[in-house]
Amino acid sequence: MKFSLTWLAEWVDLPESVDLLEERLTLGGLEIEERIASGPDLSALRVGHVLERGPHPNADRLSLCRVEVGEGEPLEIVCGAPNVAAGQKVAVALHGDVLPDGLKIKRSKIRGVTSNGMICSGRELGLGDDHDGILVLPEDAAVGAPLPSALPPGDVVLDVEITPNRGDWVSMLGMAREVRAQLGGALRLPPIDCPEAGAPAAESVRVAVEDAEGCHRYAARVVRGVRVAESPEWLQQRLEAAGVRPINNVVDVTNLVLLEFGQPLHAFDLAKLRGGVVRVRSAEPDEKIVTLDGQARQLAAEDLVIADAAGAIAVAGVMGGAESEVGDDTRDVLIESAHFQPARVRRTARRLGLHTDASYRFERGVDASGIERAAARAARLIQELAGGEVATGEVVALGRPPHRTEEIPLDPARVNRLLGTALSREEIGVLLERVDVAVEADGDGLRCRPPVYRNDLHIPVDLIEEVARVYGYDRIEPTLPDAALEGASEPTEHRLGALARDALCGAGLVELMTFSAFAPEDPDFLRLAADDPRRRTVTIVNPIQASAPWLRTTLVPSLLRATRQNLARQLDGVRVFEVSRVFRAARKEVALPEERLEACAVLAGETDPGFWGRGDVPPFFRAKGVATRLLEALGHEAEFRAGSDEPFLHPSVAGTLLVHGRPVVSLGELHPETAARYEIEAPTAVVTADLAALLDLEPELRRYEPVSRHPRVRRDLAVLLGRDVAAGEVLDAIRKAAGSALESARVFDRYEGRGVAEGKVSVAFRLDFQRPDRTLTDAEVTKATDKVVRMLAQRFGGELR
Amino acid sequence: MAGPARNLDELLAEAEAALAAAASVPELTETRARFLGRKGSLSGVLRGLGELPPEERARVGQEANRAKERIEALARERREALEQEGRGRALAEHRLDVTLPGAAPPRGHLHPVTRIEREMCAFFRSLGYSIEDGPEVDTDHNNFGALNFPDDHPARDTQDTFFVEGGHVLRTHTSNVQIRAMTGRTPPFRFIAPGRVYRHDLDPTHYPMFHQIEAFCVDEDVTFADLKGTLYAFARHLFGPDTKLRFRAHFFPFTEPSAEMDFWWKDRWLEWGGCGMIHPQVLRNCGIDPERHQGFAFGMGIDRTAMDRWAIPNIHLLFEGDARVVEQVG
Repeated sequence: MKFSLTWLAEWVDLPESVDLLEERLTLGGLEIEERIASGPDLSALRVGHVLERGPHPNADRLSLCRVEVGEGEPLEIVCGAPNVAAGQKVAVALHGDVLPDGLKIKRSKIRGVTSNGMICSGRELGLGDDHDGILVLPEDAAVGAPLPSALPPGDVVLDVEITPNRGDWVSMLGMAREVRAQLGGALRLPPIDCPEAGAPAAESVRVAVEDAEGCHRYAARVVRGVRVAESPEWLQQRLEAAGVRPINNVVDVTNLVLLEFGQPLHAFDLAKLRGGVVRVRSAEPDEKIVTLDGQARQLAAEDLVIADAAGAIAVAGVMGGAESEVGDDTRDVLIESAHFQPARVRRTARRLGLHTDASYRFERGVDASGIERAAARAARLIQELAGGEVATGEVVALGRPPHRTEEIPLDPARVNRLLGTALSREEIGVLLERVDVAVEADGDGLRCRPPVYRNDLHIPVDLIEEVARVYGYDRIEPTLPDAALEGASEPTEHRLGALARDALCGAGLVELMTFSAFAPEDPDFLRLAADDPRRRTVTIVNPIQASAPWLRTTLVPSLLRATRQNLARQLDGVRVFEVSRVFRAARKEVALPEERLEACAVLAGETDPGFWGRGDVPPFFRAKGVATRLLEALGHEAEFRAGSDEPFLHPSVAGTLLVHGRPVVSLGELHPETAARYEIEAPTAVVTADLAALLDLEPELRRYEPVSRHPRVRRDLAVLLGRDVAAGEVLDAIRKAAGSALESARVFDRYEGRGVAEGKVSVAFRLDFQRPDRTLTDAEVTKATDKVVRMLAQRFGGELR
Repeated sequence: MAGPARNLDELLAEAEAALAAAASVPELTETRARFLGRKGSLSGVLRGLGELPPEERARVGQEANRAKERIEALARERREALEQEGRGRALAEHRLDVTLPGAAPPRGHLHPVTRIEREMCAFFRSLGYSIEDGPEVDTDHNNFGALNFPDDHPARDTQDTFFVEGGHVLRTHTSNVQIRAMTGRTPPFRFIAPGRVYRHDLDPTHYPMFHQIEAFCVDEDVTFADLKGTLYAFARHLFGPDTKLRFRAHFFPFTEPSAEMDFWWKDRWLEWGGCGMIHPQVLRNCGIDPERHQGFAFGMGIDRTAMDRWAIPNIHLLFEGDARVVEQVG
């Protein structure tokens, strides 16, 4: 909400310093979004001093002035105003300056004489209507100074954010009350008494509240014989400063009173009211209305409407109807001031997508005790500005009264126990009285009666907050709680996520975080089968982008997209991961989706080998290393199995890591179809780990095994094998054949090409023998190695090179 | 008989000269063997002792042993000298271009949000707070209703909610964890709940997904002053010992009194999060008697804190998947 400080100063005393006002309002809960200096920006213009005024040589009505502008020589300026005179301080716009109306001042010849600028009138500066002559500044204005320094200070408008609990703040009255609560002073309310004349209003209109839940109170005033016209300047300016468009004097008055008291009003053309009756009722089946904005609207049964004898003439609390609108030929006016049920107004406004100044205030609740006051204020102003007579009396109809708390008991000890303060009962009472809560001592406690306009005060803690707010949060001394300590715990999922991030980061990958949604094409791009559980997506009812309508069931697409973007940006390879929840729709629609923690890593393109390293490791093997490292870090021994069921992986360059026989990690090169869909050309490998599957698996319990003090004997075997023999299988066989003295066996080289027969490959195995209890003899090692060599020949047709 | 003695002197002189002339360790080994080896000259002398008359045998034997020791010592000295010379040469010859890069496995990088989240969790765990998790898709009840958001109340407008099928919501805050963690538990307890949250808001300064950390502490006499003190300690842990905070009154349905807090950062107040005393109705909704127990709760954006820490100008940079952003700060 925007409010002018000049206007607010009419309601309550303001401090000299706008900063102080801002600070107190801010700490009290009114967030200032912007401080706007109103009026045109004249800071480029300057104060000039008319040294001489002489006649223009070629024009009788123009004069030629020599004006000092604070720098350089005095300038010649041609002026057409009759009131310009030597010795005046004036507002000068020079070559290049722009006036508020957009006019750019240029040095130019006027009737043969060069004019170097312009001496401005108040109208040209946007400061008023006076165009009889130039604006004459005070004599003590400093020559050459920016023009605003010589003008009276302009208005300041504060744009504040109103929290949804404080409907009572959304008005000048509300702001004035808050200023008084925070800084003291007295309220000054505008006059509301109105001179009445003629027949009672009740003779012109009857009011029936038929939906007693929807309307708590309805007050009508009648003003007869008005002349609808444009509003006076001051009224238009007030509305415009608050962002409201002026329409005519009657409508503008209703809007002004809305700004003043926060009570939305509506003015009907009484002549267009059929049957002389106002009915506040629910909409009838299939009822329609054309609202003031010209839109035809279909109403629903729960919408509350204002109707006459023939049909709806307004959507209650939201917007009036076009048919009964006040126009130029309107003579008699009906002013509506009502209190509608907040939730009803809110639902209708939302359903119609029609959020108005009125609905905004009704949703937050209006002052139940201010209905008649606002109607009277409006009637008085209409009579003042549009003429006519205010009919005698008002017509009031009541529905069910709103829930209201009359009295709240407050225990001062409770206040101090919650806030950590040591306020006396008297101090608490004084603080509450500053926000209009009536306080009465009751034994050790207080009996508090909140003002009717505060529809947010119901229970003691509501009052405790007011005590703290008025006292000042900044005055409460910080302390630390001395609560009993128990050991801090951490959920397994959180711990696994942290371990996984550390492992993947430790393996040289970069962590990303991407939006938790899928594109519609992602399941197909991943080649997921029709019955793949990852097609059980959760639909976002109101997606923010058409490209993300579902919650993702796997991280793979997000990371592939990120990979493509990163490849496009960087020359070197991409190595990224994410650890996040993925979602699967529950089988029962009402149940919450299943959320699983997943880790996904993508390695694409060349690795930057660095100066010393090897850049030629195929992505698959980098992925395999990463995957193995990940499971090790999570404390699990994994079994590697060639091949994977993942449809987005290359069918023959893929593998699975199993923990206790359960597949937990899939890894492999990206399937060429999927790669093409995501437009990734670089060789790419993907690792996905279903961390949720590990939640109920105990990590491997490691135990100390004695370290041997005896020497280790190493034997390297280079074996010629068929090209299709899997080294992993050979290694498994070696481990079985070599006997218990084998401490470790691994592949350390693989070679094919020159010197190795076509179809063959030379694989080098390194066997380390060691026993914990004694030194091995050469004969023992040779015997074990021979056994391995025989086994290799028999099972794999391998021969030593 | 002077023969052997003279021979020994000559032998010694000869050995001295030969050892001094040895130019390398192998040559020295060979030279030493020539005099001291089994077939060496001195061994010859010693073998010849038996032929000497007994009165000379002892004297010549002693002299021969002294000569042997002398040659041994000379050989050792020469060997040390040669080795030292060799090391000196190697030292002089060994050269590397030390400006070439070092070799280390490639370094990984944690996301800035992860790093700040860990700092925050570590702080609170040191104060005895347990971590608690909650789902990112939750019921309307846990995200709103039990947190005292009435149906059809404008407070819901402040939340920009994503709705999903089944009538559920993407949680708009981590406060759903308050409800889940407090229900069925008896105070005292203190929890933190970091996690991902969602708001239906996408523009240059908002991203529809971000991260919050929620903290709440309930006991019999935990006060608003305690809330302030805890937040001061937390802010000073994160931003330094001179950090200034400001508490502004605010409205949240689930706390009362409520406040928003700002911290002073580079000459202006930056909004940091929301806080307050847990609303008695929320406690009641979780089966806790508000007459007996009370506590505070607060939450703040992890992303915002990360952005402030590393001067990241735009939240979109955190979630658009550009690895260079993470590499810079991680």
